[in-house]
Amino acid sequence: MSDPWQDDVPQGRFDLAQLRRLWPFVRPYRRQFAICLLILLVSFFLELAGPMLVQWAIDGPLANTAAAAPDRLRALVLACAAFLAVTGLGAVLGYRYGTLTAWNGQRVIRDVRSFLFSHLLHVGPSFHERNPAGKLTTRVSSDVENLNELIATGVLQSVFDLLKIGGVLVALFLLDVRLALFTVATTPVVIGISIAFRAAAQRAYRSVRGKLARQNGYTAEVIGGVRATRAFHQEDAVAARYRELNHDTTQSWLATVRHFSLFFSAVDLAIRGTSIGLLWFGGLSVLDGALTPGDFVKFWLWFGMLAAPIKELGEKYNVLQAAFASTERIVQILAEPRFPPAGPPAPPPPPRGPAAVEFAAVDFRYRDDQPVLDQVSFRAEPGQTIAIVGPTGAGKSTILALVSRLREVAAGSVRVADRDVRDWPVGELRRRVAVVAQDLFLFTGTVLDNVRLFDPRIGEDAVRRALAIVGADTFVAALPQGLLEPVQERGATFSQGQRQLLAFARALVTDPDVLVLDEATASIDSATEARLQQALAAALRGRTALVVAHRLSTVRSADQILVLERGRIVERGNHRQLVQRDGAYARMLRAAEPPA
Amino acid sequence: MLQHLFRLRSLRRAFGRPTRLLASHWRLVAVGVACVPIHAAATLWMPRLLGETLDLLARGRGADAELPRQRLGQIATLLAGLALVEAVTRYISRKTLIDVSRYVERDLKDQALAHLQRLPIAWFDRSRTGDLVSRLTQDAELVRFVMGPLLLHGGSALCLLPAGIVAMAAMSVPVTLACSVGFGLLFLVMRLLVPRLHAWSKRSQEAIGELSQRAQEDFAGIRVVWQFAAEERERAALATRNRRYLFANLRLVRLRAAVNAITHSTTGLVMLAVLAVGGHEVIGGALTVGELFQFTVWLGLMMFPLEILGWTFATLPRAFAAGVRIEELFETPPESTTGATPPLRGHLQVKDLTFAYPGQVRPALRELSFELLPGHKLGLVGPVGAGKSTLLALCLRFYDPPRGTIFVDGHDVLDLQPAALRALFALAPQEPFLFSDTVLSNVGFAGGTASATAIDEAVAAAALDQDLPQLPAGLQTLVGERGVTLSGGQKQRVSLARALLGDRPALLLDDTLSAVDPTTERRILAGLQATRRGRTMLVATHRLSVVADADLILVLDGGAVKERGTHRQLLEHAGDYATAWRRQSEAAALEGGSA
Repeated sequence: MSDPWQDDVPQGRFDLAQLRRLWPFVRPYRRQFAICLLILLVSFFLELAGPMLVQWAIDGPLANTAAAAPDRLRALVLACAAFLAVTGLGAVLGYRYGTLTAWNGQRVIRDVRSFLFSHLLHVGPSFHERNPAGKLTTRVSSDVENLNELIATGVLQSVFDLLKIGGVLVALFLLDVRLALFTVATTPVVIGISIAFRAAAQRAYRSVRGKLARQNGYTAEVIGGVRATRAFHQEDAVAARYRELNHDTTQSWLATVRHFSLFFSAVDLAIRGTSIGLLWFGGLSVLDGALTPGDFVKFWLWFGMLAAPIKELGEKYNVLQAAFASTERIVQILAEPRFPPAGPPAPPPPPRGPAAVEFAAVDFRYRDDQPVLDQVSFRAEPGQTIAIVGPTGAGKSTILALVSRLREVAAGSVRVADRDVRDWPVGELRRRVAVVAQDLFLFTGTVLDNVRLFDPRIGEDAVRRALAIVGADTFVAALPQGLLEPVQERGATFSQGQRQLLAFARALVTDPDVLVLDEATASIDSATEARLQQALAAALRGRTALVVAHRLSTVRSADQILVLERGRIVERGNHRQLVQRDGAYARMLRAAEPPA
Repeated sequence: MLQHLFRLRSLRRAFGRPTRLLASHWRLVAVGVACVPIHAAATLWMPRLLGETLDLLARGRGADAELPRQRLGQIATLLAGLALVEAVTRYISRKTLIDVSRYVERDLKDQALAHLQRLPIAWFDRSRTGDLVSRLTQDAELVRFVMGPLLLHGGSALCLLPAGIVAMAAMSVPVTLACSVGFGLLFLVMRLLVPRLHAWSKRSQEAIGELSQRAQEDFAGIRVVWQFAAEERERAALATRNRRYLFANLRLVRLRAAVNAITHSTTGLVMLAVLAVGGHEVIGGALTVGELFQFTVWLGLMMFPLEILGWTFATLPRAFAAGVRIEELFETPPESTTGATPPLRGHLQVKDLTFAYPGQVRPALRELSFELLPGHKLGLVGPVGAGKSTLLALCLRFYDPPRGTIFVDGHDVLDLQPAALRALFALAPQEPFLFSDTVLSNVGFAGGTASATAIDEAVAAAALDQDLPQLPAGLQTLVGERGVTLSGGQKQRVSLARALLGDRPALLLDDTLSAVDPTTERRILAGLQATRRGRTMLVATHRLSVVADADLILVLDGGAVKERGTHRQLLEHAGDYATAWRRQSEAAALEGGSA
């Protein structure tokens, strides 16, 4: 597609193989679906019965002037009573059908949505890197919603609409062959006109949707970017650009108006033409004595029953197209493999307590031609701190990600507590290995929610203790609502230092055995800086830790320092050893000396 | 809400502007409106002909007379003619009136957006983007309903309903009454159910909104979810929201099914009323069978106008509220465009500036004073909320500072025309705003015709050239929602190139390079330094290396100056700046570079 603003709804095609993928979700409710079908069948016969009663009333008590008035009245009452019964039953069944189909559809899509979401939580990291959060959210919200149409009423109703058209035609044939043949001959013309116009109108409408999306997107951008516009004095240019988009959209609207106006008029005309034909042929049949006036009315009313399903089919077609497109996208996601892949059940995890972390000849790459880690080996004994230094892009954060198996090694092995991370139950591994990110990702919720990550098993007291250990208690207490302060705008009001303090608290609240930490660069906020030092000391006490270090004090006190360059460890040892060696690390230290 | 509709003044407020726009297309409106009664007349003739047909058939059945056949032919021809008239008039009225409504919507949106461009920044701070967007989209659409579809369908209903009732009453008052009672009951039940339908539909929308928000955050923070093994908890959290949504929807569908069942059965019941009361009349000889049949045709014709009536009652109050919301935009006074437009060089003086945002008590800046000569560089450092961005916003007069506090080349900024003042500065904010357009048009946003060389220079100066090979179409690559997603650092550099392109006398960098890696940042700064050519710079940052060469550095805390001086003076002072400098030097060194 050359124009990215063209409506991106792919043309969904009817694909049985994909529908079959949805069957497991429908299966639990198959009995309810069967009941719906039954109700539809009964309703159809009730609908046929109404005109029959009218015909009986017209030809019987109403037209039969020869009979005595009381007899005619009695017959009329009988007809009315039957009509009432048919209408009442129809209403009850209609209500039941309406609730039951919706009940089925809603439950199926709830199941699909839960399954899809849960699947998305478990697909691999590279999938999430390729697909922005907004796109995945659309899959879970709107695409699943589109399935509702397909599952609740789509297939069932469409099949039934076809049956209904067939059934009415059969009834018409039984009544009068000539009239029925006329109907059969003209109905395809009506359907043909309907489909032809609808296709054209749909194309026009799709172009409107694309243009409207672009225009609305621009509206939001203009409002969001009002400061940029003002700063560069582009108010008139922006308004002119908006005008251009706006007028373009309107032109497309006018095209759809033309199509729809023609469509409505043409279909009306075609249906009217058919009914006038019926009037003519039917009238002649009555005059010839082949039909009664009541039959004529009955035929007229039955013919009217055809209009609804024909119209429905046209509308359903579009809905189903969107639903098939959504199904395609959902099935695609469900086919993505999970990470870590399901293997044999892992043996029970080792006992808790400080654990060794070991990398043995680890290779890692995101793409085949670009090794990120090359034969990295080191070992942190229980309780030791390892500091990692080196330039951006050397692979420091990849090492951190491998410890809690957020990534999979290409070769070699990563061991925690002397067991390969691939042999750990992954949930348990990640509970033991806590991560302190440089930049804290905050969820909508309170500070409390964000420290304990919505885990209700962690009490408020535990959260307060964690905050106190890292020294974040004072600034949290200073918030207007303290722990229960809602996080605003993804935490933009917190300073970098405060965000890292919260990240420390989030990591420590579960009392992990191993800590992997990306140290934040220093800010000018001296009070927070001092607290960060305390927090780090408290966090490292009694834990094995891997730290991407940005402070001299951190490297100085580390048990081992790894100097990483382009995925390889070029130097290792403690501070004193490395200073004596006078290599890369010593050069770094000299660069860190404040200028004289 | 409904009672407001009857007050002329509030009506004029909501619909005055759209009506004037409608009037400007009066030719189309006149043609469209003229066709409505013609269409209605053709429609109204039909039932009579059908009734006559049935009586003709009942009387003439079996008789070998030629007369009924002749009449039947006449009726069929007449019906065909009427159908043709209906089709043509309906096409014309629909095409003209709906077109007009689109024109009104278009013109209204044009005007609203142009006005929006002139409203003060402080007003935008108080408004939510989503709310403003919905005024320009959904609200405009609602107003459009009144300015076209209502004329078409409402006009048609206005012709059909009274005429139909009169025609039916002329045949039989009892049958007409029986039908009216049926429809009246339906109308009452609907008035009762429809508001509840709306309420639950809103609940359902809210529920799916909550669900989507949580899902979106989980996907955006998926790494956190994994790191803290929170998958199961998040699955449960989403399941709870999913259940809430299901519950709201089940209530909604039950109501909807009830409404459908009631509508459907009412038609049946009204048919029954016709059959019972009309049948009684037929037996009594007051009505013919054809007239009875005519009633059923009339009922079919009345359904649509009745639906329109219900739709109008439901939509009109919403359209009214929408009209008011749009008019509120026009009622907000725009920012001033008056003031002097002297040539400006960028000599900035700030004298004892204390400023609080409108509606806030706590000042964002306190007693701030400094002077910056043209071509000099000012460094602003300090924690989040220290007032750095506020100072830059005041220089651009996004807000009005107190009189006598900020001067440019000796003029109080309040005496300068805002556009002239802003033309002095080029702004590159921390969270840059890019439009969903090509990289090139984002760089060239400041307008004017920049030469290819100038663009290349700006792109190179912002170190954006290093990314171009990775972008599928280089400078012509589409970015944003429908295009390539740029990284934070790339966006910042696009925004910097935009600021550099105009070659304006003063540059405002508001933590512009926070997401750019240190090596690239050093390269950019070295380039800026070399090509400064007497450009005044105001630089707010967390990375002190960016401002080490500034002529004056202000360390802000809580809106007040905590430390001030040159880099050397501040290091000697051995305060917060010196401490932070040492730590940042360490960090840079441990990454293999030097500060």
